[in-house]
Amino acid sequence: MATHAFKQTNRLFGFSLKKEWLKLFLWWLGCLLFVFIGIFAFVEIYYDPMERQAMAMAMANPAMEAIFGRMIGSDNYTIGAMYSHMMTIMTLILFSIQSILLVVRHTRAEEEDGVVEMLQALPTGRLAHTTSTILLLLLVNGASAIGSAVVLLIFGDASITLEGAVLTGLIYGLAGLLFGSLTLVMAQLSSSARGTLTLSFALLGFAFILRIIGDGGIELLSWVSPLGLLYGTEPFVNNHWWPVLVGLGVSVLLILFALYLKQKRDLGSGLLPDRAGKSGASAFIKTPVGFAFRLIRTPFIVWTVALAVLGVTYGSVIGDVEEIIQGNEIVQQVLGGDETTNMTEQFMVTIIGVLSLAATIPSIQALIKLRGEEKKGRLAHQLSGTRSRTKIMGSFLFLSVLTSVWMQLIQMTAFSGAAVAMGFDISFIDPILAGISYLPAIWVLTGLAACLIGWIPKATPMIWLYLTFSFFILYFAELFKLPEWFRLMSPYEAVPDIPMDAFSWEAFLVLTAIAALLSVLGIVGFKKRDTD
Amino acid sequence: METVIEMNQLGKTFGKTQALKEVTFKINKGEVVGFIGPNGAGKSTTIRILLGLIQADGGTATIFGQDVWKEAVSIHERVAYVPGDVNLWPQLTGGEVIDLFLSMRGKKVDQERKAELIKRFEFDPTKKCQAYSKGNRQKVALIAAFAADADVYIFDEPTSGLDPLQERVFQDYVKEVKARGASVLLSSHILSEVEQICDRVAIIRQGEIVEEGNLDDLRHLTRTLMTVKTKEAVPTLKDQAWAHRVKEKSGTYTFQLDSDYMNDFLHFITPYSVVKLESAPPKLEDLFMRHYETVGDS
Ligand SMILES: Nc1ncnc2c1ncn2[C@@H]1O[C@H](COP(=O)(O)OP(=O)(O)OP(=O)(O)O)[C@@H](O)[C@H]1O
Ligand SMILES: [Mg+2]
Repeated sequence: MATHAFKQTNRLFGFSLKKEWLKLFLWWLGCLLFVFIGIFAFVEIYYDPMERQAMAMAMANPAMEAIFGRMIGSDNYTIGAMYSHMMTIMTLILFSIQSILLVVRHTRAEEEDGVVEMLQALPTGRLAHTTSTILLLLLVNGASAIGSAVVLLIFGDASITLEGAVLTGLIYGLAGLLFGSLTLVMAQLSSSARGTLTLSFALLGFAFILRIIGDGGIELLSWVSPLGLLYGTEPFVNNHWWPVLVGLGVSVLLILFALYLKQKRDLGSGLLPDRAGKSGASAFIKTPVGFAFRLIRTPFIVWTVALAVLGVTYGSVIGDVEEIIQGNEIVQQVLGGDETTNMTEQFMVTIIGVLSLAATIPSIQALIKLRGEEKKGRLAHQLSGTRSRTKIMGSFLFLSVLTSVWMQLIQMTAFSGAAVAMGFDISFIDPILAGISYLPAIWVLTGLAACLIGWIPKATPMIWLYLTFSFFILYFAELFKLPEWFRLMSPYEAVPDIPMDAFSWEAFLVLTAIAALLSVLGIVGFKKRDTD
Repeated sequence: METVIEMNQLGKTFGKTQALKEVTFKINKGEVVGFIGPNGAGKSTTIRILLGLIQADGGTATIFGQDVWKEAVSIHERVAYVPGDVNLWPQLTGGEVIDLFLSMRGKKVDQERKAELIKRFEFDPTKKCQAYSKGNRQKVALIAAFAADADVYIFDEPTSGLDPLQERVFQDYVKEVKARGASVLLSSHILSEVEQICDRVAIIRQGEIVEEGNLDDLRHLTRTLMTVKTKEAVPTLKDQAWAHRVKEKSGTYTFQLDSDYMNDFLHFITPYSVVKLESAPPKLEDLFMRHYETVGDS
């Protein structure tokens, strides 16, 4: 029985590889590209030790630590230390996302589609499908670990030691393994792919927030967060190895737990209870917008809570950055020596940008739910009714705009409220105004998504690539000293930096016009094309 | 007779829904058994238990004398299954999926047999699965099942997407595997199909087997379709306990008669001066229908 449970694992594994290798390979390449850009830019830009030291001082404050991570190696801020400090958290998240998506795609999604049922009715072990996914997870993260270490060693300077590079590679791979294993457990608890995805991303978000709060003072929380734990290896600075062992141990336990649950449970069911729904439709969901809303209700609620928590978290760590900066000439020099430059405001600008990008995710999700419905073959139900295509797509677009407004207001209020409550010297209204001025940039993204849905529906997921790109620019433009023309490839860069700059009607209206144009274009395409 | 599949008081509850109360029946070697019942009666649940996909919470089930949950893997080496909803990997071709399924059996694929099946089912194995219609996706599973040299075939509404011609091909193959001694469990809503190819039927309702037996035996138990024309009107016919679904049209009555009450009926009708009397053999469909109709009663 015990060995039977794994029967045909290798065949299923080979089969998964055969049908997915290209996707896996592109993900791998993309992740390594991220590693490459980071190390390459640092070596090119921050070759001067003086400048790095100044940077270290500028970064050593609660606000910046909330963004990048706890300050490490500040007394000797080498390229290696700088890379570990500034790039680790984001890279860990990137690799975690890769693994979460991989596991959901190979477990719950296939189970939901019914293919696992067919496979399990063949002489394959009850765990084989799951263990083949675990092998895939190990392979992908092993390759990520090795690839990252190699990229760092090739493009790094003398401070990129072999030990540090190997350790860095390992924590990247381990982040994937940890969150992949967590996802595997979630896949046993939830009975749907969507539920598994939501739970897993919620855990990733939770780990992110835990790390911020932990670094803000309650240190234990940082160690509880997988991100904080792996960050604690401090490659190129202290090279602690024990978190790797802890991470490995936890991953193994999670995997064993997932296998135990899988072995016990019925195919197609989850361990969390499904609630019974209503027997009839309310008047609200009989309207096109109401119906569309019902489809995205759960993610809508989850995102509202998540962004509110994120807002409060950032709001409460702003701290009195000013005091630390005051009288530090080097730092002032690095920051441009501009008298009007104010550290708190600089921090606020970055955070508000990050939050706005985050709010873009549920807004896009609301719109591309339309495409999801189409792929599942459920759109025909709507189209065959009396509703026109314009009306259907219009409803989803409207909902998407509504989502963006709602999320921005909620999280900016949370951010401001927390900051004011902590007694920090900021204006309550500024972040909210900034949030509003970011709205048209979000709409440009949803407009683009509409165009994709309307004209090249298969390429709809590309919108996430563009969002990631925009995020990259927002987060790293300053650090990598990216040129202005390059920055402007992201609509978020066209938004004025409130509160450092004033609100601009011009930017607001121009971006809104572009967004409207893109949306209309999307609807036109959607009206003309065949649906799946 | 050698018993191949045996279920004893199977029970299964999903949350608050009791899907199976007490399912007990057997399938012998070389037998084709139809498994019918209304929507939600528990057919798929029973089948999924037999396949070890879900675990029964009461009773026992064995195939080849082995426990369906514990020995699932070794049982499956000799079992082929086709679900009603076949979903496949969109990026693979039908031919690739058939090969994959067959390769899982660990035996060498009988290419000749596969080619024959593909031809008989008029199936194009070179298209990607996302481009197949429902019926064509079902064919993938059917071809993979019949190409396997299994001893037990389990079908859950396998023909719901097939056209009548392909349905006949399916029936031919069922007869063929039966001829070489394999057993078949066929869940279906197509009663004529069941009547055509099954030796026995089991009727399930609300998680219980309510009727089970040889098709011929069942015919005896059932009602006879009567058509009678009389000189005088027979208004009380519809009040008789043995008459069902009485319809009258210009002096001609048609109704279903409980087969055991033929004599009572003749005594009853003679006084009304019979002009014409016809009886039709009981149709199985009518028997089955009865079980579908009375769901609400109990
Ligand atoms: N995973 C599940 N969770 C909850 N309830 C379930 C689940 N699977 C089946 N049921 C319930 O069990 C009962 C039996 O379902 P089953 O699918 O076996 O019916 P069926 O006889 O195959 O019906 P059909 O003819 O429609 O295919 C139904 O009431 C169904 O709602
Ligand atoms: Mg069914």
